[in-house]
Amino acid sequence: MMELLLVPFMEAAVRTATPLAFAALGELVAERSGVINLGLEGAIIAGCLGALVAAGLGGPLLGFVGGLAAGAGITAVFAYFVISLRTDQILAGTAVTMLGLGLTGAIYRGLYGSGGAGLVLSTIAPIAIPGLSAIPLVGPALFRQTVPTYALYLMVPLIAWWLRNTHAGLALRATGEHHEAAEAAGIAPRRVRWGALLFAGALGGLCGATLVLAQVGTFSEGMSAGRGFIAIAIVVLGRWSAFGTALAALGFGAAFALQYLFQALGWSLPYQLFIALPYVLTLALLALLRGRATAPAGLGS
Amino acid sequence: MTALVALACASAENATDRSTEFRVALLTPGPVSDQSWNSAAYSGLERIRDTLGAEISHIQTRTPAEFEENFRQYGAKGYALVIGHGFEYQDAAQRVAPEYPKTTYVTTGGTGVGPNIAALSFAFNEPSYLAGMAAAAVSKTGILGTIGGTALPPVAASFTAFEAGARAVRPDIKVLGAFIGNWDDAGAGKEQALAQIARRADVIFQNADAAGLGVFQAVRESKGVWVIGANADQNALAPSVTLGSVVIDLPLAFALVAQEVRSGTFAPRVVRFDTATGVVRWVPNPGIAVISASMLARLDSTRILFAEHRFLLPPGMMP
Repeated sequence: MMELLLVPFMEAAVRTATPLAFAALGELVAERSGVINLGLEGAIIAGCLGALVAAGLGGPLLGFVGGLAAGAGITAVFAYFVISLRTDQILAGTAVTMLGLGLTGAIYRGLYGSGGAGLVLSTIAPIAIPGLSAIPLVGPALFRQTVPTYALYLMVPLIAWWLRNTHAGLALRATGEHHEAAEAAGIAPRRVRWGALLFAGALGGLCGATLVLAQVGTFSEGMSAGRGFIAIAIVVLGRWSAFGTALAALGFGAAFALQYLFQALGWSLPYQLFIALPYVLTLALLALLRGRATAPAGLGS
Repeated sequence: MTALVALACASAENATDRSTEFRVALLTPGPVSDQSWNSAAYSGLERIRDTLGAEISHIQTRTPAEFEENFRQYGAKGYALVIGHGFEYQDAAQRVAPEYPKTTYVTTGGTGVGPNIAALSFAFNEPSYLAGMAAAAVSKTGILGTIGGTALPPVAASFTAFEAGARAVRPDIKVLGAFIGNWDDAGAGKEQALAQIARRADVIFQNADAAGLGVFQAVRESKGVWVIGANADQNALAPSVTLGSVVIDLPLAFALVAQEVRSGTFAPRVVRFDTATGVVRWVPNPGIAVISASMLARLDSTRILFAEHRFLLPPGMMP
């Protein structure tokens, strides 16, 4: 009985966490370079549409490439404004998010007609890893997932290692802490931030591509549904570390999955209580972590 | 400054030139590519253009402040008919309409009426009741699911009627109800459906617009589960797993109302579209044959009872 409840719940938690974790890891890299990217929501929705269009042309693999490229493309607009024109990061980010949400709707209707075509792609199927997926309870949740989730398992330690142990990772962190000092040390902060933002945009696009190609199988306007902003909160909860961010994303995924489960249990409580659950948990966690934040010193400058 | 005045004059001239044209505007709460509530309304707007030669305009609005602002804009431009597509537009219509007496404001859903305000009321609950009967007849587990965007009164009433219809066929039926909290998040729609399917629900009635597309995907990927569409005829979205759709023929309703407004015969009122008008109906998926002949006959006789007003649903199932 317990297993009947827990396995679907844990699978849903990992599934929901996967796109959030991609977006949050991208945001982590952007923020470690000193840029807060409120345009992330715009990159996610651009990734959704880019993935749909590209997958329609050449299958799922091209779909993921299209998602990455669309996310990086719209974030390049953001990068141009904040790095080259030195516009306020909050303003430019908000503008790029609005641009993404509006433009994707217009393009979608332009391509598929005003009513939309009800375009449906078959989603990529989960792959069970032999042996590991047979572990009771956690096996199916962690090892009966789609390829993007497995890519995430590799990406998290890779980003953690890259930030800590490589020269480029050091340059990124130095730029985020104090970009004048980084410049004095021979680092080109503008180039570092361009790289960081393009990477962040591509991962935002990967978040969108995962939603479309591995989960929903279609595009709907506004389907990013606030995931960009949740990802920004995840980076704060994860205290600007790769493993922390992945853990916080999993926590969010679990909170959403718990919400779905509670509603499906058919309790007669107001549904708003369940929907508020993930956000209440965030506030509670932020209060618990109060004063222990380790934001990059030069964030937003 | 001079340029601004010139611009203002130019647009004023424009407005008088166009005053003889029949202009109709539509405000939707969500994207018109949702294959449901909003796309059906846009088809209705296009039908008004095509049959009445109207000049049409559409805008997507999210917040009550936007509802009011755009109601005002279209009133100031002298539009003959402005449709706020949803129950949630009522308050804005009540506030704005007195300022623009030449414009008729119509809300889809609701009961607010004024000198130039009308409401379209759909007995969506009647075909929802039929859908509940059909769902209970095909369910093997005896567990059904409903998934809505938010609990707007017409949506909640429709789900209550669905449950009553199911119970009429199978008194021990269990219905799991859920709301997504918005009308856009197709990912959340899918997960909510998967959670219900994991609790053994095998027929899911969704009314969540764009977010509902995720419910269709969840059902497509699951075995032995049916989905029921809402608002538009969604049977073609997932032809092999869709039991049917609870349809509001918005193009028909919009064209009827616009025709009256155009000819000057429109009297502000609650225009009620029930089963008898043919605007609301249960449309079974023609491509599947899982409902038994005796059940089909029972559905049809219930439909006739609705159409002849011999069977009325209780107030709790009214929008």
